[in-house]
Amino acid sequence: MIRTAILFTVLLGGLAHASNVDLVTLPNRDAVQLTIYNSEDLTLVKETRAVTLKRGINRLQFSWANTLIDPSSVEFRALRHADQIELADTVFPGQKRQHLTWNIVSEIEGEVPVEVSYFTSGLTWTMDYVALTNAGETDMDFTGHVRVFNQSGEEYENAQVRLIVGKINLVEKIAELARRQGIPPPQPGTVGFNQLKDRAGRRAFGKAESRSRDAAKSAKKIVKEGVSEYFMFSVEGEETIRNGWSKRMRALQSLKMQFRIVYRMRTHQYGPRPVRFFLWQNDEAHKLGDAPLPDGRVRVFRRNASDGMSFLGEQQIRYVPMQAPVEINLGTDDLVVYESRKTGSERFEFHFRVHNNREYVDGWNERTKWVDTIRNYRDKPITFELHRIWPGDVEYQSEVATKSFDYRTIETTFDVGARETFAYPCTVLTRHGRNQKQNRLRIR
Amino acid sequence: MSIRRLGILAAAALLAVAPSSFARIKMTALPKRERVEIQLDNGRYTLVEEERIVPLLASNNKRGNNRIDFSWSNTQIDKDSIQFRPLAIREGDTFRPLKEGEVTVINVAYPPNENALVWEVHSSKACALKARVSYLVSNLSRSFAYRALADKDETFLVLKKYLQLRNYSGEEFGEAGVWAGFGPKFTKQVDQQTDIKMLLERFAKVPIRKTYTFDWYAHGRLNNDKPFASRVLMHYRLRNDKRHGLGKFPLQPGKARIFIQDGRGGEAFLGEDWAKLTPIDGDMRLFLGDARDVVCTRKIKSNQRHAIRGNLFDQEIRITFECENFKDKEVTLDIIEQLNRLAQQYAAPAQGDVEWELGPETSEAIKVTYERGRAMPLLSIDLPARPTGKDAKVEKQTFVFHIVLKNLWK
Repeated sequence: MIRTAILFTVLLGGLAHASNVDLVTLPNRDAVQLTIYNSEDLTLVKETRAVTLKRGINRLQFSWANTLIDPSSVEFRALRHADQIELADTVFPGQKRQHLTWNIVSEIEGEVPVEVSYFTSGLTWTMDYVALTNAGETDMDFTGHVRVFNQSGEEYENAQVRLIVGKINLVEKIAELARRQGIPPPQPGTVGFNQLKDRAGRRAFGKAESRSRDAAKSAKKIVKEGVSEYFMFSVEGEETIRNGWSKRMRALQSLKMQFRIVYRMRTHQYGPRPVRFFLWQNDEAHKLGDAPLPDGRVRVFRRNASDGMSFLGEQQIRYVPMQAPVEINLGTDDLVVYESRKTGSERFEFHFRVHNNREYVDGWNERTKWVDTIRNYRDKPITFELHRIWPGDVEYQSEVATKSFDYRTIETTFDVGARETFAYPCTVLTRHGRNQKQNRLRIR
Repeated sequence: MSIRRLGILAAAALLAVAPSSFARIKMTALPKRERVEIQLDNGRYTLVEEERIVPLLASNNKRGNNRIDFSWSNTQIDKDSIQFRPLAIREGDTFRPLKEGEVTVINVAYPPNENALVWEVHSSKACALKARVSYLVSNLSRSFAYRALADKDETFLVLKKYLQLRNYSGEEFGEAGVWAGFGPKFTKQVDQQTDIKMLLERFAKVPIRKTYTFDWYAHGRLNNDKPFASRVLMHYRLRNDKRHGLGKFPLQPGKARIFIQDGRGGEAFLGEDWAKLTPIDGDMRLFLGDARDVVCTRKIKSNQRHAIRGNLFDQEIRITFECENFKDKEVTLDIIEQLNRLAQQYAAPAQGDVEWELGPETSEAIKVTYERGRAMPLLSIDLPARPTGKDAKVEKQTFVFHIVLKNLWK
């Protein structure tokens, strides 16, 4: 059952004092468009209706009892004859809760299509991804889905659905604004609030009444386009979302997509063990790149030889722009081990402070020798990246090509063969106490 | 609901014999309001001016003067602000200005423990006086709101400015003139507990500049995965002057909701911000949110101390900015570098504003300006649009900001 939530009344007569309803019409909604934002609990609803206006002053009444509509967002716009139809003011009478009156001056008489728009809360959408690699972990099928949530308990039909990707700035929460005027709805988190949210969703989806059903049985296309800094996913045609269901639609797919595997050792960032990353780009070369990838959870599976699958891990990714890299952290790998052992230490160039004819050490240099070892127990070669912070006044020397990542961090990358161990020595000179003149790392 | 009366003691008592603490008898002639003006030009106080026709008797020694009683309840009127101003007297069907000595306000008395006052008015003859009563009232307030619609290319705004009148004063003003201190004067039905939203001004084509700003010390690192990146904030910047289609009056603070044309004849909501007071010729900045397609990371690439004498030294620092623009159009990234905080973190307290000079290795592509002061240079960098094509890849652009912080000690 579809219900109409918003009373739309046309009152004709005096601007200020018309107390009687001269004419009440409930114009049909011709179309409803829902623009759902994923960064905030916010949906922009636009409905189009045909209203019959008289020449002169018209009063249009709009009410939204028991909804989470932000009253300050409700707007009226004539879609035709805009230069002949002027909104004189919007009046929110205190005695009538969740109710407003538009005073409209019209130079024309007759039926006019108008647009009523407002913000409401209660509808959400999310993105999720599935990555399924082949057994050798050389390529993957990568699929992204959008999912629109509607827990209304009723069936909804024929709303045009647009989903906005991006983080918008709101200075006040819509649900809070909805409470500010009129009868306060229940507090968030309560049963009543959730029921109200459900009802808001139900009503928003229920706007398009008695529209013809889509005949198409194939998966709908998601049309993607950029708007300013944001991206808009428009679900093709109109959408019906059934009672108590959420609807998940495929938004993107890349089959047999190539990707790289890199092991990263960054104690300060990922902890004491190397972590495994799957890396690729959101670009055409990877059969992606026609839209950014919205925030969402990526679940990574691997096909195994027995037609089954293994779950490799999951990660919540943040927005990935077009052509930007995608990095999925699969966590530590027991088959790749990194060790750094100190193999020697010597101190020299002591500096002494003299006090009461006795000398006290207050500066010295220390040369330490290290051996870094990477053991790869996997049956294929790996690429290994190391970032290591050496604080203080440090000179670093190594037998592998090393560069400075920043003023205190070294960066090196090398490959380790299948089932091989790679070890390399390095020497670190650190100046302590009075000998420390700098706070930086130099590579020799 | 308030009850407020403007009463005329028609048979005026002789002041000379009137006891000071008599029980006040109000004979309420209740002259109706002829006109009400609500002046909202002061942001903190609202002035209500109402005009009434008050019948006066001729004052003489026997009757004394006219006493005009004004009382109110459930309305927060600032008692000390109430003024009574005689304007004109009726002659035939019209009013003419007062002549000197015709009507004089002698004094005003405040009865104890009442929201009331009494004016004693001398009139040289019986007449119908047009008088204006004005007072400051609470809970009758105004606010401003903006609706901005950007074109798809984000070069212009259609800016609408709204006046929102909120009447929770306890008083029904009926049909009243409403003026915000600028813009059009409205005539509106101002009922009790009513909000009215009115379009004050519509600016059809306001040029805007979209800015992208990176400020490491203001926002810190983005997250654990990107420890060297920080937020890039987007703003629309518009100038309140005639050249930019504005400049008629200051733009008052208020919530601005920003929409953009979506290219299909519709609109999308971009976000909202509190617009700050913007004087004429001033700049308004509207925060849109974080840019996620413009990425900037900042690293201290080198940090070298040069001793001068004793504990006095210079600190030479190279900061590298790695920037990527994933957008399909060129942008200018403004980087704010807070050098006092940089000195504090890597060298020594700046002892006031840090003394510094630009090093020769600073990238030529960086344009340095000082609109925020010498110790907070603004580094502007143009970033090209992302390349197109199958194998196109956004290259990281690396820029070096090479500086020497001078004469520090600790």
